[in-house]
Amino acid sequence: MEAIKTKIEVTEKERLPVVSEREAVFEARDLAVYYGDQRAIDGVNLDIYQRLITAIIGPSGCGKSTFLRTLNRMNDLVPAARLTGQLRYRGIDLYGPGVDAVEVRRRVGMVFQKPNPFHSSIYDNVAYGLRILGMKKDLDERVEKALRAAALWDEVKDRLKDSALGLSGGQQQRLCIARAIAVEPEVVLFDEPASALDPISTSAIEDLMHELKRDYTLVIVTHNMQQAARVADMTAFFGLDVSPDGNRQGVLVEYDETEKIFTNPSDKRTEGYVTGRFG
Amino acid sequence: MRELYTSELEELEALLRDEGKLVDRAIRGALNVLERDDLELADELIAFDDEIDSRYLAIEQRIPSLLARQTPVAGELRLVLAILYINLHLERIADYCVTVAKLAKLAHGLPRDRAVLEALEEMGERCREMLGTGLEYFYARDFTDSQALIEMDRPIDRANRKLIDRLIALGPDESQREWAMRMMLASRCLERIGDHAVDIGEQAAYLVRGRFEEFTDASHKPPRATT
Amino acid sequence: MNEPAFTLKATGRLRRRQLVNQGMGALAAGAALLAVAVLAIVVISVGSRGAGSLNLAFFTQNQAQGFNPKGGGVLFAIVGSVVLVGIATLIALPLGVLVAVYVSELAPPRLARVARMALDISNGIPTIVIGIFVFTILVAAHGQSALAGSIALAIIMLPLIARATEEVLLLVPSSQREASLALGVSRWRTTVQVVIPSALGGILTGTTLAIARVAGETAPLLFLTSLGTSSTADANPLHPLQSLTLVIFSYSDQADPAYQSKAWAAAFTLMCFVLVTSLAAKLALARYRKKLGG
Repeated sequence: MEAIKTKIEVTEKERLPVVSEREAVFEARDLAVYYGDQRAIDGVNLDIYQRLITAIIGPSGCGKSTFLRTLNRMNDLVPAARLTGQLRYRGIDLYGPGVDAVEVRRRVGMVFQKPNPFHSSIYDNVAYGLRILGMKKDLDERVEKALRAAALWDEVKDRLKDSALGLSGGQQQRLCIARAIAVEPEVVLFDEPASALDPISTSAIEDLMHELKRDYTLVIVTHNMQQAARVADMTAFFGLDVSPDGNRQGVLVEYDETEKIFTNPSDKRTEGYVTGRFG
Repeated sequence: MRELYTSELEELEALLRDEGKLVDRAIRGALNVLERDDLELADELIAFDDEIDSRYLAIEQRIPSLLARQTPVAGELRLVLAILYINLHLERIADYCVTVAKLAKLAHGLPRDRAVLEALEEMGERCREMLGTGLEYFYARDFTDSQALIEMDRPIDRANRKLIDRLIALGPDESQREWAMRMMLASRCLERIGDHAVDIGEQAAYLVRGRFEEFTDASHKPPRATT
Repeated sequence: MNEPAFTLKATGRLRRRQLVNQGMGALAAGAALLAVAVLAIVVISVGSRGAGSLNLAFFTQNQAQGFNPKGGGVLFAIVGSVVLVGIATLIALPLGVLVAVYVSELAPPRLARVARMALDISNGIPTIVIGIFVFTILVAAHGQSALAGSIALAIIMLPLIARATEEVLLLVPSSQREASLALGVSRWRTTVQVVIPSALGGILTGTTLAIARVAGETAPLLFLTSLGTSSTADANPLHPLQSLTLVIFSYSDQADPAYQSKAWAAAFTLMCFVLVTSLAAKLALARYRKKLGG
């Protein structure tokens, strides 16, 4: 029966590379961050892999934003913040001697919770970093490329000289993403990028992140578990831990492929959190 | 909007279509095995079940992940649930085809009866038709006539009865009786395939209408008298 | 309909409290009214006395010499005031903004607190003290000049501008700074490129308020730039120059009513300038705050 002999190839689902083949961009080793005497996170061991979306979820105060801000040294701006343990970026100790926070931030961009465009034109918002960092060659092309990558070009190409503040919240956030990727960072950090947006804009940002994954390593902090479930390849769950001295600190409870975290987490606390049963 | 999710849903349905086509070929194969009493073809059919199983497993594994990560709701939730059930029905149909192939192997070389084979062929062809109709309802999201599937089931019942009458009349010869027993089980398999096809139609109806109802079939009297 | 078992009308102690409440409210309203009334009375009385001398010549001519003090005007004083305040602003504005940038953007919190307190204290120093200070270090050695007067005015303006600027710098949302810093832009470039431009409106209104404030200063100028001045218009800052405030001071002392009338007119002019600039600056600041906040 010839009809049976012809085989149809099963379209294999896009699989994540197995752990040994993933390339780690960040490696946190026994990382702890303090604000003054207060320990915000403790004992974090976590590898963040190249060209994947890594989500960090957890209850309020678990230090997920703190962790994110150590990745581009934004925490340096908090005067009393200090750090123990090690955080390596492509093998280099990010907090080692001679490492310049400004240079770190050029390579590790960030998108914030509330859209924060500058009070200038759409064009100037994207061109800002390019001009200051001396990437002035082909400025128009670079701006267009960034706006296209942020899926905003078609909406703004006829009004590049208009104020960025005239855009909708979702458009402003995509503009901020364009601004961040215009300077060609290697990693983009997202600090609850959609929490101030309506569902349609949120969905647009999530689609955009999925597109950006091809070229960038993305890390997203979100208090919206479903968002992590939807966009992330890897998910880290941070929980709150009370140490014997009474200090409440964030600890990494579980880190695994997102599918595993949301269908079969290993840790009871993760299960409690993702099912919404956890205090 | 939600491009990843949309493409995942599309892939899932494409896998199911693919599986549907394979299952149809499996039924055709089972009928050929019966018709030709071909041992080699029977083995091929049994091996072919792995092909179907791989689709079945792929769908089965993707659905929990899709439910957990994308939390489908409304029509999309019904779609995912319908795919989940139809997948199961298709896999069961394929298993019946394997059973038929195995029965054919057991009946190999025994004296055969033309009329019985014709009745089985008739039943099998009706089953393929029903499966095609049920799946078509699903693919088209168009559900106008639940009665059509029931109507298609009737010839199967008729053929089944005719076949049993014929088997009883086959006579006292022991090898004839053995063949008759095997064919009766095969007939039973085909009949079950028809039932699964009706169930697939029910899933299509659920997807379109938003509520689940069992079609009236042989075990339930139809609401209005039919000829 | 049943009568309700209670009443919602005020009775007893509540009634008394209500009366006290109303009485105190009326008292406060009266005090506020008084303050407005004082301003109105000052404006009206100064205006009515100065009106006689307010004419085009008052603003465009110099004081007529000899036996006709009625003629001419105070152009020389207006020019002097503009030069004095202009140079003071040129000195105080950049310095004040730099101080504010340091305090609000760069200084560690403890140092920032100290600097802020120092600014507040220098803001409270009597202006005559500043005049004496500049006199001893500049005038005593080099003689009087408009420049010395400008420096004194600049010292008065500096804390005003610095505090006003610092306040608007703090109004610039930190998200704007973070946006720039996160692009790998240094602290200083961020301040110059992002923070100051978005605070510019506020800085300018703060400066305008400071100008309005020092335009009315007399005391420090008496030592520094009043002697031996001619009554002709002169814009050289190295000469001692007259100013509107000095004209008010010296003309009001004269026996001739023509001079006194000019003093009133000068006072009215100065007052109008201060009122209008202050009001405009306050309105602009309010609008600006709203823009930054929203």
